[in-house]
Amino acid sequence: MSNGPTDTFLQETVDGLDLIEERLLSLEDGAAPGVIDDLFRTLHTIKGSGAMFGFDALARFTHYFENAFELVRDGRLPLDRRLIDISLAARDHMAALLEANSEPARLATLEAAPEAQALVARLGALVEDAGLAAGGGQEAAGTGSAQNAANGAPKGPVRRFRIVYTPAEDSLRHGARPDLLMAELAELGEAEIVIDLTAVPPLDEIDPQASYLSWHVTLETAAGLEAVREVFVFADDIEISIASAPEPAAPTGDTGGADPAVALAETAGSATDAVGGRGALTEPGGTENAGRDAGGKPTSATNASVRVPAARLDDLMDQLGELVIAQTRLDSLAAEAREPALAAIAEEIDRLVTGLRDSTLAMRMLPIEVVFGKFRRVVRSLADELGKDVALMTTGGDTELDKNVIDSLTEPLVHMIRNSMDHGIETAEARRAAGKPEKATIGLSARQSGGEVLITVADDGRGLDEDAILARALDRGLLTPETAAALPREELHKLIFEPAFSTAATISSVSGRGVGMDAVRKAVTDLRGTIEIATRKGAGSAITLRLPVTLAIIDGLLVQVGEGVFVLPLSSVNECVELAEAECSRQSGRTLLRIRDEMVPFIKLDERLGLRSDGRAPLRVVIVSAEGRRIGLVVDDILGQHQTVIKTFSLFHRDVPGFAGSTILGDGRVALIIDATALVRSVQSADPHAATAA
Amino acid sequence: MTARETQSDTRPLPPDQGRQMVLTFRLQGECFALVVTHVNEILDPIAQTPVPNAPRCAPALINVRGSVVPLFDIRHRLGMSDDPLPDTARYVVLDLELKGEAIRLALPVDAVEDVVEADLARLEAIPDLGARWPAKAIAGICQRGEDLLILLDTETVFNIDVALTPRAA
Repeated sequence: MSNGPTDTFLQETVDGLDLIEERLLSLEDGAAPGVIDDLFRTLHTIKGSGAMFGFDALARFTHYFENAFELVRDGRLPLDRRLIDISLAARDHMAALLEANSEPARLATLEAAPEAQALVARLGALVEDAGLAAGGGQEAAGTGSAQNAANGAPKGPVRRFRIVYTPAEDSLRHGARPDLLMAELAELGEAEIVIDLTAVPPLDEIDPQASYLSWHVTLETAAGLEAVREVFVFADDIEISIASAPEPAAPTGDTGGADPAVALAETAGSATDAVGGRGALTEPGGTENAGRDAGGKPTSATNASVRVPAARLDDLMDQLGELVIAQTRLDSLAAEAREPALAAIAEEIDRLVTGLRDSTLAMRMLPIEVVFGKFRRVVRSLADELGKDVALMTTGGDTELDKNVIDSLTEPLVHMIRNSMDHGIETAEARRAAGKPEKATIGLSARQSGGEVLITVADDGRGLDEDAILARALDRGLLTPETAAALPREELHKLIFEPAFSTAATISSVSGRGVGMDAVRKAVTDLRGTIEIATRKGAGSAITLRLPVTLAIIDGLLVQVGEGVFVLPLSSVNECVELAEAECSRQSGRTLLRIRDEMVPFIKLDERLGLRSDGRAPLRVVIVSAEGRRIGLVVDDILGQHQTVIKTFSLFHRDVPGFAGSTILGDGRVALIIDATALVRSVQSADPHAATAA
Repeated sequence: MTARETQSDTRPLPPDQGRQMVLTFRLQGECFALVVTHVNEILDPIAQTPVPNAPRCAPALINVRGSVVPLFDIRHRLGMSDDPLPDTARYVVLDLELKGEAIRLALPVDAVEDVVEADLARLEAIPDLGARWPAKAIAGICQRGEDLLILLDTETVFNIDVALTPRAA
């Protein structure tokens, strides 16, 4: 517990750095004043609390960065591409300093590195230039005390603030100096200070070391709210409220609960909640960080939230899984017992568990935006590296996905974007020649469709080169001229996901080694997702990942095969049909089914899984969509639906093809969950005769 | 792997690891042992769900109090025949760490015998030609009364990436 505050600082700073990156990138599309304020505040918070928690190198460097942004905020330094470049590099340097803080040797190396020195110099130069231009000595601004801010040039219109400062009773014993604070306030501008004596007890009850006083200050100053807050930045264990007084207000006695003060205090309070559940700013005593948080985390301030370790959510999910299984058992008992009272309770619990399931799953959901931000950076640096002008358009960033899905998607998506930028998008000359705009576009979109989320990476480049893929596949022996002729185009496109399959003529540092795309397929398959490719020569290509919204609990269809019971994810099931005896026993080797004028191939699950089927049960076919087509799975019987808690396989069975994991049925039996896509793929790749022999 | 084979007779284990409680059980007449710290519980055989196309040593899954646990048939790893289990059979549920991953598995044995103290510092390697079990699978043997106690090397015997080949008899 001893390093709790440091951990909190670390987490906040990591978040802050992410925010800085996101904001910087968003500034490229045009500056909004609020964004710059956010950036400045975040930098300021990192600097301040960094110094407090012993992250001196970080605080030192952030100081230079912050200076530059102070000028930007005041409109004295233009926010151009050059500055954004420097700022992004500075942000990365801050991240490195943060990470290296516990290792002094590494930290020293980092700080002394020529790149770091160059960064400091460039930031310094920016500040100096702007400073000279404005003729003001600004470079010392914002070093943590209010004087500096006060010495600076006027920053805005003269505003009136009303400040109520009530030190905690024991604060004088802890070294608080209200006199100095008042003096500092007076330096900021015209201050009218009134002391409030109402809390002073009768003489015989007075503790000479305790503070019973309250100061009411009306301050007219051109310095911003930040500067006022800074006066109180080291005043711990206090109750402060600062309000911008809308009208010249008389500093009357009981302003503690006045409306403007309350409003401001509330904003600050939810900001501190958002960053880790510390006390609100106005909470008297008790909270060590009260003053310090004043400038923190403004963006998430509107959503009060609690930070929970991911592992606890996983635990909760596990327990919910157990609960769902227990509830299924209760259901089957209640159905057997035919006891109305029991049935009513079972139904009630069923309802509650379903609600609990939905809330728990919702808790694990994150908007995919959290990774989209990262891709802007990837696109930006790659565009520079490849000398291509590329814009990233993102849509549907608010689409929610399970946290675990998002985590395992980040890398594959980076691969896909790299691939698009390197192979898909042409050089500027080629684009001109083709009559396309020189600036290429990569679209990253996410949307929900039923129980699936579709994520598409699309580019307006040259499209997949089918001839090159074909040549490469023949070369690699993946296809023979005969199979190639019969291969549908979609299948041909999918070859780009084969291991070490690259059609790039040159290997660039970015891609072309053929690693990557097969990693994409593996990651997506592991998430029980599928991939679709759409491409048109000269117009671009789009790769769509279809992913289940959650990994933990799905709706499943229970089927009987031989003596075994299996679960098919309902999301992949299209329909169920009867299989005529004649079709099944056909010896010709034909495994095609005719459904409403459509020919659907089928797989006999009993053969495929090496299970004996007694053959007398009515044969049914479950039509699933897998690999972009409809396939029939022949089963003995369909038993019904089942809320399926997915238990992933242990390492012994992870490589067994065709299954997504296992689950526990209402009667306590273990059932395997069939992954239709993986099953179809394993049938396709395996020699059909060897498949059951193993 | 050679280091592991010679470890038992040449290098003394740290003193606190010397004497340890082991669970002893029977498999095809032989008395095997596992350090009790790995043992989570012992179950009567229960319904199992075969996994099609699974490795032969991990043919099925069982439900242990709401969690799905793979059965691990050690007989296959030791090159023994897989006769049906006798009436006295039990499943020994083990908590292990394999390849950096915590895993729970159930080991079917012919009979569970006892928990005894064994001096692991005095383990001996099986002499050549002494048994057909793959040498890597066995941490060592020690005498216990009339019997030979065969201590399994859990890291090897349960790691299916390690190929075990029986020794020449």
